[in-house]
Amino acid sequence: MSPKAALHDPVFLAYVRVVFVTLAIAGAILGLLHLVWKKQIAAIWQTYRGWLVMAPLALAVIFAGRVPFIVGVTLLAIFGFKEFARASGLYRDWWMTGAVYAGIVTVGIASVMPQPQGEEPGPGWYAFFVAVPVFAIALILVIPILRNRFRGELQRMSLGIVGFVYVGWMFGHLGFLANAVHAYGYLCYVIFATEVNDVAAFTFGRIFGRHPLRSEISPKKTWEGALGAIAVSMILPWLLRFSLPEFGPTQLILAGLIVGIGGQLGDLSISVIKRDIGTKDMGQSIPGHGGILDRIDSLIYVAPLFMHMTGYYYPLR
Amino acid sequence: MKRWRYTPMADLDQTMVERLRNFPREPDMLVYGLRALVALIIRGLLGTYHRFEVVGAENLRNERSFVLVANHSSHLDTVCLLAALPFRKVQRAFPAAAADYFFRSVPRTWIASIGVNALPFSRSVHVRHSMTICGQLLANPGNVLIIFPEGTRSTTGATQEFKSGIGALLAGRDVNVLPCYLDGAFHAWPKGQSLPRPRKVRLIVGPPRNYATRAADKASISAIASELRDAIEQLGQRHDIRRTLDEDLGRPEAVLSFVESGEADG
Repeated sequence: MSPKAALHDPVFLAYVRVVFVTLAIAGAILGLLHLVWKKQIAAIWQTYRGWLVMAPLALAVIFAGRVPFIVGVTLLAIFGFKEFARASGLYRDWWMTGAVYAGIVTVGIASVMPQPQGEEPGPGWYAFFVAVPVFAIALILVIPILRNRFRGELQRMSLGIVGFVYVGWMFGHLGFLANAVHAYGYLCYVIFATEVNDVAAFTFGRIFGRHPLRSEISPKKTWEGALGAIAVSMILPWLLRFSLPEFGPTQLILAGLIVGIGGQLGDLSISVIKRDIGTKDMGQSIPGHGGILDRIDSLIYVAPLFMHMTGYYYPLR
Repeated sequence: MKRWRYTPMADLDQTMVERLRNFPREPDMLVYGLRALVALIIRGLLGTYHRFEVVGAENLRNERSFVLVANHSSHLDTVCLLAALPFRKVQRAFPAAAADYFFRSVPRTWIASIGVNALPFSRSVHVRHSMTICGQLLANPGNVLIIFPEGTRSTTGATQEFKSGIGALLAGRDVNVLPCYLDGAFHAWPKGQSLPRPRKVRLIVGPPRNYATRAADKASISAIASELRDAIEQLGQRHDIRRTLDEDLGRPEAVLSFVESGEADG
């Protein structure tokens, strides 16, 4: 991945067109809803404006190359974890927060650096990347020992470990995917399909939603929305087959299921956390979307599942 | 199993800029880091570009909370007072800054809150609320409150009358106040000029004063304000005499610049 390679990569260029056409169509539909059918869409319009900024930004970071992309993912993970820590109150403990930050940066370093010795098929230190949680959790467990205190430490350690594994490491898989042979195809597919799945769930839920999916956790999500989103996500890999060149029918179905089901689970799991803490959004960093975590929650689930599914069938790098 | 108790940050539902406009602000690692970095850069620049010098720095070494008051003629004043303090005080020193000037636009909010840890002080409405916040700050140990009692920068370099609010804050409160005189800041960066000039800046820190025994009535409040102003003026005058002596002895660089300008004219 490099700017030069991106300019000559048909898959990346195709996705640039796909993204802008999708944004244009969505804008046109919203415009029609507003002008012709006189619907109140102020809130959706703000969300749409958020997409207008985020989609080109994501393409620009992918365009910039492998290392900038991994740095970008690491920064998103750091600020995503910061939201989690601020919401749960863990952020008051700068030692624990610092330990998790160190773990997240290590995930980024493991994604960038080559394996020190032995033959490796491509960039990135895979063995260390999958082992980072061992070291991060070891560091988190050492913090109370260093500070010689125990009161409330189990809660802090637990929050630190959940925050690291969930936001730092699982989301970090997106960064490691940049080392794949078909990095452009995989990254663009995973990000695009997951976000389309999110929007589809929202849209189907809004139009047909009747039966709550998980009434206790997230009363606004419905079975109709979830099933509609899964249907869209099952079709999408076939339409975007050019970006997944090695995939046969089994893998395409799996890719669709991972995005369709994983995306919803990611959304719901962040809802569980928010519900228990008692907050509505994880932050206010993206107008119309809430916090960073509210936006990347589905990717957190989808990225690792997609990466390991692909790695099972084909050499990833 | 006992339920966990979460203590979310109080500013969770606010945007970044809204959070910076708060006071007291929730501690933020990124903001603290940036502020420490800014403090280092400012100290370096003041030392080289303005040959910044502190007279009476020993008065600043105190673990109790105290107030710094100084004459105000330049944006350099705040950064000079901050740079005179020990570096570990960077996160505990709060210059009171006009809320209507420093906390309105987004870039100024960033500079004021991240850069110098400013306390938003409303000059017109909510004055009483701002005074309460200052009082709470001083009730906790280890804080430094920086106040320019003139209320705004002087346009002539001469010290203006002090607003009586400083008296109201100090009367009957067992808090030390250090009068400070800033010399050269006006010539280096007067009001209305976009960038500072490389002139020498000197800060003279006077001995601590305490108004714990004074009543908080109107007369004594304005008396405290004018006493502080006199103390600062005296620091300045004593300092000015020394400077005049220096000039009488004839500084070589002053002579040199005179010769050079003469040649250029010819």
